[in-house]
Amino acid sequence: MNPEDRAWSRLQNHAAAQLSPGFAQRVLVAARAGAKAAPSFLGQFTLGAATAALCFVAVTLFQAQRTGGDESSTLADWQKITAASQEAELGQ
Amino acid sequence: MDSSETTALADLVRRAQRGEENAQRELIVSYQRRVAGFVYAMIGRNDAVEDLAQQVFIKMIRALDRLQAPAQFESWLFRLARNTCIDHLRRQKLRRIFLPFAPEHEDVPEPTGAVDSEELDALRHALAQLRPQDRALLALVQEGRSHAEIAVVLKTSVAAVKARLHRAREELREHYQPTHES
Repeated sequence: MNPEDRAWSRLQNHAAAQLSPGFAQRVLVAARAGAKAAPSFLGQFTLGAATAALCFVAVTLFQAQRTGGDESSTLADWQKITAASQEAELGQ
Repeated sequence: MDSSETTALADLVRRAQRGEENAQRELIVSYQRRVAGFVYAMIGRNDAVEDLAQQVFIKMIRALDRLQAPAQFESWLFRLARNTCIDHLRRQKLRRIFLPFAPEHEDVPEPTGAVDSEELDALRHALAQLRPQDRALLALVQEGRSHAEIAVVLKTSVAAVKARLHRAREELREHYQPTHES
């Protein structure tokens, strides 16, 4: 075995020594726990779509309310102007 | 690996794919040493080996049912290991950009005695000088993967693998300077 191969072999031994006893069992437990906790793709997609829809509705409602408010105040102003001009015409 | 071993491995993989916990455990026990070696060659830190090896095997268990050819399990597993290590290095790089630490906290050196031989320390140092992709290439070769298998893992041609491997070996030799041990 040449020095480089010997070093690679030592590297593998050294790395394997970093795994604490019961490694395989811990992996299996973590994989099972993760599988239960992890949301499915469909679940994630539905949640994303619902959030997007909710945002859209909120923005639309806010915009409609704001535009509606502006329109009624403009209409009220015009009505005042119209009334004032009619009064002025009658006065002449 | 001879044909009877390949058949036995394919059988074990099929059982693991069906969700047999004993088969999954057997796969982990059989490959944990080699995956740990691969991770250490890629990352070069003791404290990352267990965590990353665990991530590799968790991904293995979750994705096992998508493996079409059980006979190619080894190549597939080392591709998972390579991708996991490269993702880890990328995340580290991003973290350094967004959360820069003070220089003295950036690369905390391994504690004294963390590496038990000068030869190994020299190899670790030499590997650290290479690009992660080249480290992966050398570690895959050391794992006994053929050029054709590596070409599949890296999604490139066999000729490109040979050329890159040649360059990576040259570079490793350039940096690999062990002090002589008896």
